[in-house]
Amino acid sequence: MIHVNGLTKDFGQLQVLRGIDEHIKKGERVVVIGPSGSGKSTFLRCLNLLERPTSGQILFNLELPGGGFQELDITARGVQIDKVRQKMGMVFQHFNLFPHKTVLENITLAPVHLKLMSKAAATDKAMGLLERVGLVDKANAYPAQLSGGQKQRIAIVRSLAMDPEVMLFDEPTSALDPEMVGEVLDVMKQLAIDGMTMVVVTHEMGFAREVGDRVLFMDEGLVVEQGTPEQIFGNPQNQRTQDFLGKLL
Amino acid sequence: MFESIQQWFLGGYQQFFNTMIEGNRYLMLLEGLGVTVKVALGAAVIGILMGCVIALMALSKLRIARSFASLYVTVIRGTPVVVQLLIMYYIIMLSYTGPKEVVAIVTFGLNSAAYVSEMVRGGILAIDKGQTEAGRSLGLSGASTMLLIVLPQTVKVILPSLFNEFIMLLKETSVVGFIGLMDLAKAGDYIRSRTYSAFVPLLSVAAVYLVIVIGLTQIFGRVERRLRQGDSR
Ligand SMILES: Nc1ncnc2c1ncn2[C@@H]1O[C@H](COP(=O)(O)OP(=O)(O)OP(=O)(O)O)[C@@H](O)[C@H]1O
Ligand SMILES: [Mg+2]
Repeated sequence: MIHVNGLTKDFGQLQVLRGIDEHIKKGERVVVIGPSGSGKSTFLRCLNLLERPTSGQILFNLELPGGGFQELDITARGVQIDKVRQKMGMVFQHFNLFPHKTVLENITLAPVHLKLMSKAAATDKAMGLLERVGLVDKANAYPAQLSGGQKQRIAIVRSLAMDPEVMLFDEPTSALDPEMVGEVLDVMKQLAIDGMTMVVVTHEMGFAREVGDRVLFMDEGLVVEQGTPEQIFGNPQNQRTQDFLGKLL
Repeated sequence: MFESIQQWFLGGYQQFFNTMIEGNRYLMLLEGLGVTVKVALGAAVIGILMGCVIALMALSKLRIARSFASLYVTVIRGTPVVVQLLIMYYIIMLSYTGPKEVVAIVTFGLNSAAYVSEMVRGGILAIDKGQTEAGRSLGLSGASTMLLIVLPQTVKVILPSLFNEFIMLLKETSVVGFIGLMDLAKAGDYIRSRTYSAFVPLLSVAAVYLVIVIGLTQIFGRVERRLRQGDSR
């Protein structure tokens, strides 16, 4: 679904990504771990072009309205990136809900404005999604009235309302109080069970182990080691992976 | 003692009558007030619209847009509004023959736009950039994100300064007499020159401005309080 070829990203003098080649398959759950500053967020943000790569290709299988697929290099000039992003949900560490909109408006804003759905259909869909995360009663609340865990569940629903083909998560539980981490991870686990393609940057090793099909360990702008959770957590080969996991224990 | 106070009041009333009531001269003040309000409101509308445009130019990726915005703000803020008014009247809009109010509205609108643009620019920069990223990552265009997500939040942040700007604007229009418009201030001055008596007309003008500004301050304060309550809804 997403092919990444030779992806690099510089911020001025700083080389943050130094050549990443990855293939994320449809339905796959990829978990990205690694020390702070290793480029995990930058990698994720390059996938939907919130950061523009310095070099390399990102091929994305865009589903066409009439059925079938079109493989698109989204880093190419003239690509309608807004169209691509509609199919790539993104969940942020700090939720980024729109504070001046109600929960329901947060969810329906994009699909209605982009004319993908009528207002009534979008509202129906939003209520259904809210039901799934147990927050129907908050539909008319404002973000300021919600707890962190509730905000993040709404943020996930907001992305899901666009019917994305892949969901990108950048440390979705890092800004939460410990007692709220579970409710957000539960929603993500349910998504995984439903077959959503997911790329998750996280420090939650339990989640990585349980949900991940594949774990990427990043360090200094490279994917240093990857494998199944059993391989990475049970028998890491690379010294830096061992050091990183050792520090966590 | 009592008599002298009585004398003073009677004298005062006599003056008031001679200057303001006789010949219905107070009506001139009312008409002048109408001009003042018209110019201030018209200029405020232009100021806000143009101010947003200039602010977006200042934040644009295009170098020329940024340079234009910066030049605009520098020139407007660096020259007195009276001079701008005279330039507009005698040079730029020389061939224009319609109502002079329009010249004043355009001048004060363009003037206010420079100040408003700085507020809007600061306001936009104060909005967390995660808001833009969230909008864009949902597939909204840059323009839609700005219009639906960033600007509404900006308005809330800068509303107090916008209100303040309007009050300044209202008072600054008191120089439109320079192009022969009869606004509130000019009307007072006219009555002074006709009656050879400065005290009552000029203090009346000052009092009217003061009452309006106090009234506006009250209303704006209430609106701001209402909005702030909205935050913790
Ligand atoms: N917009 C930017 N401009 C300049 N440098 C940046 C920018 N974004 C990230 N960096 C730098 O790039 C490096 C990698 O950042 P990144 O956020 O991708 O790391 P990370 O692996 O997500 O770390 P963390 O676990 O702390 O979130 C860091 O050194 C960071 O300071
Ligand atoms: Mg990060």
